[in-house]
Amino acid sequence: MEMNSEDLIATLAQDVRPLRRHALARRLLAGLLAGGVATALIVGCALGFRPDLWLAMHGSPFWVKWIYTASLALCATRATASLARPDTPRMGWMWIMVVPVLGLVAISMAELAEAPPAQWLAMWLGGSWKVCSSLVLLLSLPIFGGLLWSFRRLAPTRLRLAGATAGLSAGAWGATLYCLHCPEVSAIFVLTWYSLGIALASLLGAALGPRLLRW
Amino acid sequence: MIGGLAGNPAAHDALLRALLPILRAFYRRRMHGREEDIEDLVQETLIAVHQRRATYDPDRPFTGWLFAIARYKMIDGFRRQGRFVAIGDFDDMLVEDSHEEASNAQADVARLLAALPDKQADAIRATRLEGLSTHEAARRLALGESDVKVSVHRGLKALAARVRDTWK
Repeated sequence: MEMNSEDLIATLAQDVRPLRRHALARRLLAGLLAGGVATALIVGCALGFRPDLWLAMHGSPFWVKWIYTASLALCATRATASLARPDTPRMGWMWIMVVPVLGLVAISMAELAEAPPAQWLAMWLGGSWKVCSSLVLLLSLPIFGGLLWSFRRLAPTRLRLAGATAGLSAGAWGATLYCLHCPEVSAIFVLTWYSLGIALASLLGAALGPRLLRW
Repeated sequence: MIGGLAGNPAAHDALLRALLPILRAFYRRRMHGREEDIEDLVQETLIAVHQRRATYDPDRPFTGWLFAIARYKMIDGFRRQGRFVAIGDFDDMLVEDSHEEASNAQADVARLLAALPDKQADAIRATRLEGLSTHEAARRLALGESDVKVSVHRGLKALAARVRDTWK
């Protein structure tokens, strides 16, 4: 039965729970945290934290990885929050994300320049290149799911882009948590295989966005 | 809208009711469709405004937010019906039309004037928006004519400075 618009308004107006300040940010954060906890559990229980984690946190390779993935994650999350509003502001500032990438390229070049060429291949492939990207993609899935939940009360109008940034955000946060397991140290490894996993998560988000984010 | 966000049912009810004619006009102007289709879209938009009100940023113009939702719902509606729209029409839909611009402008002007002292805002409203002469405005506001002129001048100067700042 068709409802007339006045009745609809009366029904809607009965259900107005007050919104807290920054309701959109809270909603996104809740989704991210729920997904992040699930991902952290997978890292901790299924993969295992790297045994020398405490020691590694005193060295620079760990922080290079973390700063790289976390800065991408923060930018992507910020972009996702913008795209969660129907009147999306300009997104040109996202180009700032090339800064961490170029920074890691510079560090990789410096590391390679210092090492004998015979070691280059080993530095690039590490011990886990075959699984690294797929694990990052896998670990991004719970976070992506959390963000999808967040979006159920949000209003994106550029669905493909919103899906892509949500995927990028999930991938980069997933990679940030994966650092707690992964013992690789070379920058060129991170630049290649972490970035590949994050890019795959982003592509997946862009592919699914128009379907899953519709409202 | 602000009252509705804070959980005031009466304010929310009043907002949604005020949106009814605006949304009907918005869709009628663009769709040339049947009244039921238009009413469906209006209702869907109202539901979205209600359910997704967390996405409104009080620092930005309300109308921009509202029409972005309305436009999305219209395009989504076409997609669902599988209706094809000639590219020319589609461009029209995406472009903010004069009605929308006018409501945006009205909201902007009201917001800007609210930031001025009452005397300056009243003087500008009377002379620049309603088109009264300085003499008429002075009588209505019970001020001297030179006082009205000075208030308008200072008010416009303050507004110009404010607008310049936001564009920087």
